[in-house]
Amino acid sequence: MLEIILIATILILLIPIYQAFQTEDIWQKMLAFSSISSKASIIILIVSVLRDDWWIGVVAVIILSVGNAGLMLLANVLKRIDH
Amino acid sequence: MKLAIEWFGNLCLIGGTIFWLWGTVQLLARRSVLFKLHGLSVSDTLGSLAIVFGLLVRIPAEWPLLLLAMISLAVWNTMLGYVLAYCSSTGGDA
Repeated sequence: MLEIILIATILILLIPIYQAFQTEDIWQKMLAFSSISSKASIIILIVSVLRDDWWIGVVAVIILSVGNAGLMLLANVLKRIDH
Repeated sequence: MKLAIEWFGNLCLIGGTIFWLWGTVQLLARRSVLFKLHGLSVSDTLGSLAIVFGLLVRIPAEWPLLLLAMISLAVWNTMLGYVLAYCSSTGGDA
């Protein structure tokens, strides 16, 4: 069951990757990247539960926090560049 | 009872995946950033919380880590959605 969910989530992860690739607007790209970031960390969490390995789960939580923090910083930098 | 808990966990996992799909498909539509951001922040946050809760029900031994994941998910995703909305909509003043 968990394997099916893992495959489904990986396929769903492809949609924002495609969107980030084909859009021109920087904010649409940022949206796609923020979606990729949180989805990827949840997929790593699913893998950590599948393998019953805590350290992969710790990496997933760190990616979740640092990934989103980095995107917030980038959004603020882009805002200042915009004007 | 154990079977009911397992099925409840599976239900949370499936529900979270459907939430993900619903929010992400909106990303492909030709809509404004804020419209997509709303759909995404709802689906990413709630969908991911449902998936992590489904994992928590499945393996209670790892509850500290999964609880940390749920808290950081709720905090970070919500804040990221707000920052993206604020930065993309103002764009003018520093």
